Amino acid sequence: MEMNELTPHLEELKRVLENKVDEQQLMEDLNTYINVYHLDMDAAKRGIVRKYGGNSIGFVTAEAVSKKIGDLNGSEQNVDILAKVVFSEKKEVVARGEKKTIVSGILGDETATASFTVWDGSSCELEKGAVYNFKNAYVKMWNDRVQIHIGNRGVIERSETDIQLPERNISYSSSETKIGDLREGIGNVTVTGRILTVETRNITVKGEQKTVYSGLIADDTGKVQFSAWNDFGLKEGETICVTNAYIRGWKGIPQLNIGDRSEVSRVDDAFLDADIGGSSTKTVGDIVRTGGGLDITLSGTVVDLRMGSGLIKRCPECNRSVLNNECVSHGTIVPKLDLRMKVVVDDGTGAISAIINRECTEKLTGITLKMATDLAKARGETEIIAKSMAEKILMKHIKIRGNVMSDDYGPMMIVKETDLDPIDVPAEAAKLLETVEGSI
Amino acid sequence: MNARETAWRIFAGELNNSSLEKKGADEKSPSYLITPLGAMVNRVMIAGVLLEKTNTGTEEEPMWKGRIQDVSGSFFINVGKFQPEASAAMVDIETPSFVAVVGKVRTYTADDGRVFVSVRPERIINIDDATRNFWVLESAQSMWKRLIAMKNALQTQDPTIDDLVAKGFPPQDAEGIISALDHYGMPESSKYLRLVQNSMRLLLPDRSIDLGLPEDMNDLPDEIDMDEGRSKVSSSDKEDIILRLLDELDEGHGAPRPDLEKRAEVEGISGMEVEEISNTLMDKGLVYEPNLGYLKKI
Repeated sequence: MEMNELTPHLEELKRVLENKVDEQQLMEDLNTYINVYHLDMDAAKRGIVRKYGGNSIGFVTAEAVSKKIGDLNGSEQNVDILAKVVFSEKKEVVARGEKKTIVSGILGDETATASFTVWDGSSCELEKGAVYNFKNAYVKMWNDRVQIHIGNRGVIERSETDIQLPERNISYSSSETKIGDLREGIGNVTVTGRILTVETRNITVKGEQKTVYSGLIADDTGKVQFSAWNDFGLKEGETICVTNAYIRGWKGIPQLNIGDRSEVSRVDDAFLDADIGGSSTKTVGDIVRTGGGLDITLSGTVVDLRMGSGLIKRCPECNRSVLNNECVSHGTIVPKLDLRMKVVVDDGTGAISAIINRECTEKLTGITLKMATDLAKARGETEIIAKSMAEKILMKHIKIRGNVMSDDYGPMMIVKETDLDPIDVPAEAAKLLETVEGSI
Repeated sequence: MNARETAWRIFAGELNNSSLEKKGADEKSPSYLITPLGAMVNRVMIAGVLLEKTNTGTEEEPMWKGRIQDVSGSFFINVGKFQPEASAAMVDIETPSFVAVVGKVRTYTADDGRVFVSVRPERIINIDDATRNFWVLESAQSMWKRLIAMKNALQTQDPTIDDLVAKGFPPQDAEGIISALDHYGMPESSKYLRLVQNSMRLLLPDRSIDLGLPEDMNDLPDEIDMDEGRSKVSSSDKEDIILRLLDELDEGHGAPRPDLEKRAEVEGISGMEVEEISNTLMDKGLVYEPNLGYLKKI
């Protein structure tokens, strides 16, 4: 094989080995493997990478395919995507105990938009609105949507081509999205809602002072936190229509971002007497579909009381729950006692975890912190408290209200308000009977 | 997502008739029992009267078996050491009493291919009759939804999962319905409607509920009435009479049947009718037989 034929493979080797090995040395090796030992190209490259201690898993032998975002199916292991950066931000995360800088945001092309993450983001600067070629990316599904990941074998190259994000998206967005239907990761939405609160915050982004206008906006299906990155003169109580906003999520709770491409117009308040800004009532099934949200009310039966319920100890400094009087941040401490329940509420459409604080726990179970403390002291053990709570709360139909987050284990509510929710069974039965009689 | 499986409110009459299993693709994905009405069940919530409990293990390592009766039949439960909360609770729960159970569905296939369904409780607890009634309501609502979904699905000829999803069915419902139709064929809707009817009779005792279903023995006491040429007392009044007599005759172990029949005769209720009525009352979960020949109110 001629040297010039080897060059592209050499380039690939250099990249996989992160330029740690002298180019001439690599070329010699490649020549030996191919032209002396007559190995095939894949085996040769793999062998060389292994010789220099590179990660041969990260080594790409098959040619990456190029795909449009709309064609991604969520299982691509190695794909090239030419796309425009709709939004991107850098953040610090802790992965496996290590601090990491990642870059995440939304990419778009002619066909669709999708969220993306660059896992080594320390040296990655992406310009909003610019087009890049994301090479050797991999794609996963989360919550039925594709996510583009750029791992350590991924390459990002600036491209001079321009991509027109489709009109279709904009026309799609002009058909309104209800706040209750917003979910993490969707771009280009149009939302009409009433501003419940607005406040100004000064933050520093990339060393630059910026003012953010944030607060809550609501329609008749729910409310959502918004952040406006320009001054639209938003005022509490007015009803606005926002176009081309995008949705970011925090632990499954959607947040509405009013960015540079967004337009804000004042509209007549069409909600009339609808309860705007009140808690939105949903089924667990609804929540599983959208991921999470603010100030949600739901009712269901308590089907389990989890570990970590009952009389618990907390660090007096940081309020973390602790075992054995040891706090991870504050060492040996004198803990303060608290009551808590971690329950599973199931309404027949799905199951949700709910964390219930002391006040609400006392209300639901009738067991006060004082009673629990005395009982635990008298018995010389605390397990009895969780057991008594289980007897009081299991199989009870309750109503809970609070913010809902989601992770891989499903949705979870931090309960702010709760009460027993007895159902008028004869009345509901009469309703069902009427339906049944009416249809047979 | 590894979200927790929903606890299906489901009657014994539907659950026990299920024999189709869908095993998870790998160890981490859940298995389901698919019912004749297309519910894909992994976890259930059941309620009724705990009629029997036996420890077939040892005191140190108990293995509880139990039978819970609802309006439609019996659930069989097994509680072992891997269900510590339920196992501890079993010690103190008395028979008979109203209980509710949340647990996983298990099946056992006999040599002759018959499939037996049982429930492995994660939680079992005594409940009051209001909670039991709420469960009956939710189970009836849930079953009615499935009957309607099945009916809608069958409006398409030879439907496929994709057909149903295109019609707006949630994918899991569509999969359940199509799998059920493939395996069991068209469900006998009158059988399930009768369960709905029985539930309504339990929840609305003052209404005379008749959905006009065929072969419903519980609708026939009037005929027996005519045979005997006796009273024109309605069947629900007769149930009340029997319940009152049970109160009177029960000296702790239940009312002896011969005494009950004698007293019922005086009230104008024949021996055959006593049999009918006591069966109805047992179906409603209001009475049970503590021993052969005795009847007791719950």
